[in-house]
Amino acid sequence: MDKTTHFGFKDVDTDDKQGLVRGVFDSVASKYDLMNDVLSFGAHRLWKRYTIASSNVKAGDKVLDIAGGTGDLAIEFRKKVGDSGQVVLSDINAAMLGEGRKNLINNGVFGVEFVQLNAQRIPFADNTFDCVSIAFGLRNVTDKDQALAEMWRILKPGGCLLILEFSKTDSELLKKFYDFYSFNVMPKLGGIIADDEESYQYLAESIRKHPDQETLKSMVLNAGFGFCEYHNLSGGIVALHKGIKT
Amino acid sequence: MQHFVLEQALNYLIDQGNADLSALNGKTLHFALEDLPLNVNFVCTNNRIFVTTDTSIGADVDIKLKSSVFLALLQGEDLTELLRQDKIVIHGDVKTAQLLVDLLQQLDIDLEEALSKYTGDIIAHQVGKLAKNFKTSDNPLEALKNELTTLLVAPSKSSLFKNKGS
Repeated sequence: MDKTTHFGFKDVDTDDKQGLVRGVFDSVASKYDLMNDVLSFGAHRLWKRYTIASSNVKAGDKVLDIAGGTGDLAIEFRKKVGDSGQVVLSDINAAMLGEGRKNLINNGVFGVEFVQLNAQRIPFADNTFDCVSIAFGLRNVTDKDQALAEMWRILKPGGCLLILEFSKTDSELLKKFYDFYSFNVMPKLGGIIADDEESYQYLAESIRKHPDQETLKSMVLNAGFGFCEYHNLSGGIVALHKGIKT
Repeated sequence: MQHFVLEQALNYLIDQGNADLSALNGKTLHFALEDLPLNVNFVCTNNRIFVTTDTSIGADVDIKLKSSVFLALLQGEDLTELLRQDKIVIHGDVKTAQLLVDLLQQLDIDLEEALSKYTGDIIAHQVGKLAKNFKTSDNPLEALKNELTTLLVAPSKSSLFKNKGS
């Protein structure tokens, strides 16, 4: 692996990125859901709903939600798999996982397991899950290829990987608005609401450094998935990649 | 987006216990309409169906047909009869194709509505009507000929519209 990697627009030592990302999420954990609602004008709820619908998860399935943070997806997956299934909500960040636990209790959702894990070394056996999801988490992973290989390993044959992530829009007009909003409005709102302008500057930068739709599709296929397709949401600002382990 | 709807509908059928996927498990079926942009793989695995636009990997069965034939098929037209009339091209195991057709025939999707996104309401309705007549007629070719004329604008009528925009 390279000795340096990107942290937003900065080049940092590969070994340091994980700690820096942890710092960001330690800082924003308590305001994470509120900020998502404000920054996306509530659209993140629609993107996640589409992700759940695309999963084809059914009663009795085993689902792992990686970088699951405050548990939005886990709550919906739990409803789908029922008591005969299993949902594991995981995150590398203890503070985010704590928020997830609180959120699930507040929503009256029980029976979800919590695991603090690193997506590059997932502590589950081969062929365990019917579905693995990662929403707005992959861009923060240092070695994405390694993480995708791990996700392929723990999925059962026929299992489905869902990656919901910020991506690239083709619309020049939308791109201009989005760039202005990302670099001028988002950090300011982060400063006002979460008292952390820097973390939301990182958010904007990390989105620009994340692979575009086609590149990520190639990465998913290279990880071993037999099929991969993506759907652009909100004009490509966000994309849902769906890989199937054959 | 149509393939998303198709996927949701098929998996709903499976979830409700109205469709048995066991014979299709592990199979990939490539399905293409020759006259409309529907070109998908049905990946049957883990007791569910994924309908994907990623058709880069070879399929076990390759099915190609026109949209009107597809409509007729969904309305119960016999697959072997369509094969005999060369209205549908199947490469691979016909029995596997038949299983997919059986599954699709259980769907209650308004295909005229889906077609109308590409063709407009009038043509979509005419294609739907054509498919219905095609199924019920003793002489499908005659029905096809009659219905096709309704899809075309007669020369006398087209002259009425010639200078409409000017």
